[in-house]
Amino acid sequence: MIKVENLTKRFGRHTAVANATFEVGKGEVVGFLGPNGAGKTTTIRMLTGFLPPSSGAASVDGFDVFRKSIDARRRIGYLPESVPLYRDMRVREYLKFRGQIKGLQGERLRMRMEEVVERCGLQGVRRKMIKTLSKGFRQRVGLADALIHDPPLLVLDEPTNGLDPNQIRSIRNLIKQLGENHTILLSTHILSEVEMICDKIIIIDGGRIMASDTPSNLVNQMRAAGKITVELKADPEKVRAALSQLAHIKKVTNEKSSEGWEHFSVLVQSGTDARERISSLCQENRWPLRSLYRHDSTLEDVFVELTRKD
Amino acid sequence: MRNFFTIFCKELRGFFLSPFGWVVLTLVTIMQGWSMSGAMKALQDAPIPESLVYIVFHMPQFWFYFLVIFPLITMRLFSEEERVGTLETLLTAPVQTWQLVFGKYFATLGFYVILWIPAFIQFQLFSILTDVPAPFSSGSLFGAFLLIFLMGSLFIAIGCLASSLTSSQIIAGVVTTGLLFIHYFLGYLTVIYSDRFAAAPVIRYIASNEHLRYFSKGLIDSRAIVYYLTAAAFFLFLTHHVINRRRWRS
Repeated sequence: MIKVENLTKRFGRHTAVANATFEVGKGEVVGFLGPNGAGKTTTIRMLTGFLPPSSGAASVDGFDVFRKSIDARRRIGYLPESVPLYRDMRVREYLKFRGQIKGLQGERLRMRMEEVVERCGLQGVRRKMIKTLSKGFRQRVGLADALIHDPPLLVLDEPTNGLDPNQIRSIRNLIKQLGENHTILLSTHILSEVEMICDKIIIIDGGRIMASDTPSNLVNQMRAAGKITVELKADPEKVRAALSQLAHIKKVTNEKSSEGWEHFSVLVQSGTDARERISSLCQENRWPLRSLYRHDSTLEDVFVELTRKD
Repeated sequence: MRNFFTIFCKELRGFFLSPFGWVVLTLVTIMQGWSMSGAMKALQDAPIPESLVYIVFHMPQFWFYFLVIFPLITMRLFSEEERVGTLETLLTAPVQTWQLVFGKYFATLGFYVILWIPAFIQFQLFSILTDVPAPFSSGSLFGAFLLIFLMGSLFIAIGCLASSLTSSQIIAGVVTTGLLFIHYFLGYLTVIYSDRFAAAPVIRYIASNEHLRYFSKGLIDSRAIVYYLTAAAFFLFLTHHVINRRRWRS
């Protein structure tokens, strides 16, 4: 559905997006992750034809976003980050205008309007001025606008930004429903959102694509820095020396001690599990062992590992 | 073409759905009425060889309010869309830039034409209310209104350009006012220095005050028609490119 090849955007000396290459298949719900200022919005603006790329190419449904811009735009429903709306228009009027401008008319326009109003839960505010609506409802109006011409691809730029938890939930559920028969590119920096909704994740940082895979694959790869917590009663120096000699151990740190119990955190190499060996070590030395726990890495670890600056 | 029409309708309705359009309409109607009554008083006081139309459009207040109309009706056009961010939703919908520019331009021109309906009615009322044959020929009335339309088509195009250059309505309005005043005062150079400088023919060619003198006597000069229409097309062309360039630069 989306095909991006070596897409680059430079603003003067600053490179906002550098050689981005990725693909989004038909029907996929893809999370586009990155810290603030990573180049998410710039990439999306190039995809939607608002900014032309400095070099490289992108196409939507086979239409180049620059050369066949109008054809590509017909296939995209786009919700920009700031959800720009005409404040002085009524919801119905706005959706009608947007529908007309996207090529709908007559009976079809009326049907689509009814459908998106129902889908986005706007029945109660149809006749209200947009400026009187709350942020949550504005977001829904923006989403209704993106949906009105029934596009196969939805591009949503931080759709849950600035909403309260209930609103976030309802927007998320809506996106989940839409994901059943649309391709969705969802930009966000909220990780739980992505874990809940997306089939695939693209992580971008500093304008570069850092990873592009399914959430579970990404987490599995990141087991690299698996961490084990051990709590036992013994002389800390001895324990440290003994633990360090086990295989696949990267680093042992004594974090704290309380009431005679020593807390150690042990970093192990990727794809290994040292718990069994640690427990037998304790048995051999007759060290009382209170807890032995392995931290599963989460998407958050993956994200931090790929995008942190230090 | 349908997109052009959709945008045209939305913009034209926008003038009447906010108090703004009505305020401008009221203001202009009052000024037109003031000019009219002033001109009638002048005719009453002393014999004047010129027609009523000529006097109305040569009242001292005419240029004063006439030139203020344009920044008022054009300053929002593109700068407001840019500021609110709706330019992004417009230009990511399947709309071509020229459809947007033409839609907005012609809607504003349409509103401008509506602004002159009260003045037209005032001229018609004269003979109806006074029972005296109107002291002007239909040719002079037609000529004056034709020039009003031509000047409007150029000045609105200038306003469109100013509005597309900035996201601040105020700056757009000030730039438009500045450009229009410069254009107007250039026309007076030949009055001040007569024809003794090299650029005098050019100045005469673009002098709106001189055009108004001919046209409100019923003398329709095709050079002025060509000038206003081509200059308007040129400024619209620039506006189109400024908006497209915005997509290049962000």
